[in-house]
Amino acid sequence: MSEAPADIEITDPVTITLDGRQVVVQRGALLIDACERNGVYIPRFCYHPRMRPVGMCRMCLVEVDTGRGASLQPSCMLQCSSDMVVDTQSDKTRKAQEGVLEFLLLNHPLDCPVCDRGGECPLQDQTVGYGPGETRFVDEKRHYEKPIAISRTVLLDRERCILCDRCTRFAKEVAGDPLIDFQDRGSRTQVNTFPNQPFASYFSGNTVQICPVGALTAEPYRFKARPWDLEIVESSCTTCSVGCRVTIQSSRNQVLRCLGVDSDPVNWGWLCDKGRYGVEALNAEGRLGVPLGRGRSVKTDDETALEEVSWAGALRTAADAITSALDRRGPEGVAVIGGARLTNEAQYAWVKLLKGVIGTDNLDAQLGDGIPAEIVLGLPLATIDDACRPGSTTVVVSGDPKEELPILYLRLRHAAVQDGVNLIEIGPKAGGLTPYATVAMHPLPGELADLVRAVVGGGAGGAVAGVDPASIERARSLLADTDGEMTLVVGRRSLSEDTGFTADAVSVLVSAYDKVRILPALRRANVLGALTMGMAPGVLPGRVALAAAPDAYSTRWPALPAGRGLDTTGILTAAAEGRIDTLILLGADPLTDFPDRDLAERALAGARNVIAVDQFVNDSVRLAEVVLPAAGFAECAGTTTNIEGRILKLEQSTTPPGTARPDWMIAAELAAELGSDLGLDSVEQIWKEIAELSPSHVDLTWEMLSDPQNRDGLVARGDPLPGSVRFEAPEPTAHRALDSYSLRLVATRKLYDEGTMVGRCRSCAGLAEETALAMNPHDFERLGVEDGGRVTVSSKRGSTVIEARGEAGVPRNSVALVVNAPNFDVGTLIDANDAVNEVRVEALQSVAGETGSEGGS
Amino acid sequence: MGYLDGFRVTFKKLFEQRVTQQYPAEKQEKPVRLHGRHVLNRYEDGMEKCIGCELCAGVCPAKCIYVRGKDNPVDDPVSPGERYGFVYEINYLRCIHCDLCVEACPTEAITESKLFEFSFTNRYDAIYTRDELLVDGDGRPRQLPWEDWREGEDEWTSGWMRATSPSGDVAFENTVAWSGELGHGIRPPEQGQRADGGGE
Repeated sequence: MSEAPADIEITDPVTITLDGRQVVVQRGALLIDACERNGVYIPRFCYHPRMRPVGMCRMCLVEVDTGRGASLQPSCMLQCSSDMVVDTQSDKTRKAQEGVLEFLLLNHPLDCPVCDRGGECPLQDQTVGYGPGETRFVDEKRHYEKPIAISRTVLLDRERCILCDRCTRFAKEVAGDPLIDFQDRGSRTQVNTFPNQPFASYFSGNTVQICPVGALTAEPYRFKARPWDLEIVESSCTTCSVGCRVTIQSSRNQVLRCLGVDSDPVNWGWLCDKGRYGVEALNAEGRLGVPLGRGRSVKTDDETALEEVSWAGALRTAADAITSALDRRGPEGVAVIGGARLTNEAQYAWVKLLKGVIGTDNLDAQLGDGIPAEIVLGLPLATIDDACRPGSTTVVVSGDPKEELPILYLRLRHAAVQDGVNLIEIGPKAGGLTPYATVAMHPLPGELADLVRAVVGGGAGGAVAGVDPASIERARSLLADTDGEMTLVVGRRSLSEDTGFTADAVSVLVSAYDKVRILPALRRANVLGALTMGMAPGVLPGRVALAAAPDAYSTRWPALPAGRGLDTTGILTAAAEGRIDTLILLGADPLTDFPDRDLAERALAGARNVIAVDQFVNDSVRLAEVVLPAAGFAECAGTTTNIEGRILKLEQSTTPPGTARPDWMIAAELAAELGSDLGLDSVEQIWKEIAELSPSHVDLTWEMLSDPQNRDGLVARGDPLPGSVRFEAPEPTAHRALDSYSLRLVATRKLYDEGTMVGRCRSCAGLAEETALAMNPHDFERLGVEDGGRVTVSSKRGSTVIEARGEAGVPRNSVALVVNAPNFDVGTLIDANDAVNEVRVEALQSVAGETGSEGGS
Repeated sequence: MGYLDGFRVTFKKLFEQRVTQQYPAEKQEKPVRLHGRHVLNRYEDGMEKCIGCELCAGVCPAKCIYVRGKDNPVDDPVSPGERYGFVYEINYLRCIHCDLCVEACPTEAITESKLFEFSFTNRYDAIYTRDELLVDGDGRPRQLPWEDWREGEDEWTSGWMRATSPSGDVAFENTVAWSGELGHGIRPPEQGQRADGGGE
């Protein structure tokens, strides 16, 4: 939770006198930072190095002589200039500090023993360090109602507040959700929300972390423990793939909270609430600690319930299922979906088991909801800093980063608002970045590549893909100024649209601009690691193409797959047709996560045996023959790879429940049961083998990764090497012309949904919003639909009745639904084989009147 | 004649007053400030004094105290304020009776009694739970089956606490702001202390 200023390189030195000694500092740097970099800490409450200074609290007053005589000045508002004389220890400074603290404590309730902040409270610490020791205030203090909930997770105690403006500045400046502000005047000034508007920000937990007193406390951590109970390790968040650095704080072998760590290249100290409170799922009810199986028989006629079995029995069953698949169909009879949850080492172990021992290439870490592995592995990777480089242009062709990768959104937002980065957003519909994008374009599903061609190539000047010509022209001129150097944030725009369009768009941009680097906006925790380690068809660890596998693999691994295998859609199609005997789910729930529910259902029914390695029994795992419990976040050590290809250490904080094991150990045991030795017996040793074998990790030793100097992680080689997977321009994906009755479906994500982990996190579970059919208000009249009225949506797969809602950011002639929402599963409408899914919308005339009043529910 | 000297000592002792006591049938008066096992006190209205702040657990050099707090139920609060001690356990196999917990307690919830005579037959009994430590409805410690103490020995269960002024000085001369205690009210001041008002 360090809030120390980042080290900077001094480019414009000036000499100042600090407490009698001469120090060289950067001209224009804030005095408070310059002093701290030179070992003199000035007490402060309102100043935070990641936010603009405001000089609210007056705690950082020091005696400064800038040539006009010594006077008290707030060091957080003062820039260093030459020949400044600073005295942080003078009597005048001490008196000012004591005075400020005495004032701050006038109305502070001093209920430290019951305050969650007690023990780690800057106000406590600085009162001890710089305070007067006694108060002269004898009157009744100001009283407010004790904690009021300003959101589901944040409690506000206004009595404790010292009005430092940190939380309100964070909400306005950093998060862009100005939902809390100062209210009233004088001694009654208070921070509060606006009436009937909770502080429902995805980033609200950060205000709790930066509050210098106990005014804002987190409901999930309320009275759970006190600071001196906690055992703290530094690790990386694996809720999404941004890889924010966190401290995991546990007590009595239970993870109680996560706090953000200021990692300059990644998260700047911020966390999203899903990552911050997601650790609650670790201790949730239903967490697997014992293997489950169905007795002796493998899928007998009578469906027996899953019951607890021994590890030996479970592994034997799993190995038998794999052996029988190998006997019946050879390696192609075994397929694996998932693996993005695993650590790099576990991914390597599983890939070695599957590709090197079993010999199957039917392996995909993405559940048909990502982008082709060739885009990620075949093009040079960018870092987040590249995408946010001041003055640059960044193209975002993905879903809404705010919903999928919240901290990437914060960084891009900051870049656009404060660093003059031009964002060209090409999203499926208006989202979190739209207000900050220089150009925001929302092409119709299926017409992304046409739009990108129009932007790159110039031409007729008419509207393309429903985007107005002015925007296209603006984007073109921005890109023309980039000298071909550009960062492309690329992810899955919509689950109901084929990724071929994205691949086409990427190939157009790559051929038009020679220095395109990509930042994959893929949301699954370690998906970059999974793809790099070979958890995709046709790939071997280190971005190596299977077709060009170097000798090292065939000498070190017992076998190699004969040819390129299937991706998730292919695996599920094959399983549905009965061509997959054993399907292994590695922390995957295709029923929920694969876009096409019908295909996923047929596949799970069609596979002879399903083996699941997971932490919870979800819909898909429920159908498995045998379930192996895996250790989760904070329960096993290793490394993870974020979207930049940055390798970050994960530390173990608690032990897994029951007999759950790390995933790499399960792979090793399964291999042993199959009569083969993976030769892997510790995380460190696995990493050593990765570093020896994988061209992308060749220079990264375990010692380097463990060095505290490298706690921000080390970026693996992100440039394609000889023998790497190549990105080649695909055959253009075709789409049918729109008939005048159908609307194209857009299926996007929300941060909170009904996912396996977030659904089991107590604080986040209730936050998933119901989805309504969002459509452009211009389409209402044509379809005879009213805003808030109920409509029937039907595709060739299914239909439902749902509320229609006007949303100007949805492209005309399309409708948008949220994936994995509590009230409706969009997957029941989607056919994964269709390039663009189309639906028909009809107003429900007869009952529209009765149900109209339900709109607010 | 040398050995007769020895007999002389024996005979002399026969007529002296005996110092041996028939413990445990007979017991000696204990010093007021003896460090025995702890009690968790209540306010005069019956509310628990413990607010679950864990300062006792934090300061304990033997790490024998385990406390967890919880939100006070709004309709039936256990203690005044927002939180109460939900779990409170002291392991007497580890406790060294140093009384630092008593010093640390901001609400005088935990004090040490003079009761020390207990013999457990298993380790679980040595871990006193919140129920076992809490004083009863009359403000008296609960007598547990394995504890040997008689009537009157449960007096002055916060005796040591009273001798320690807020600044740790026995001769402290100002108001000692003791709060009222269930069954005992506000105890009288000791020598050199004032209990009357005048504010803090």
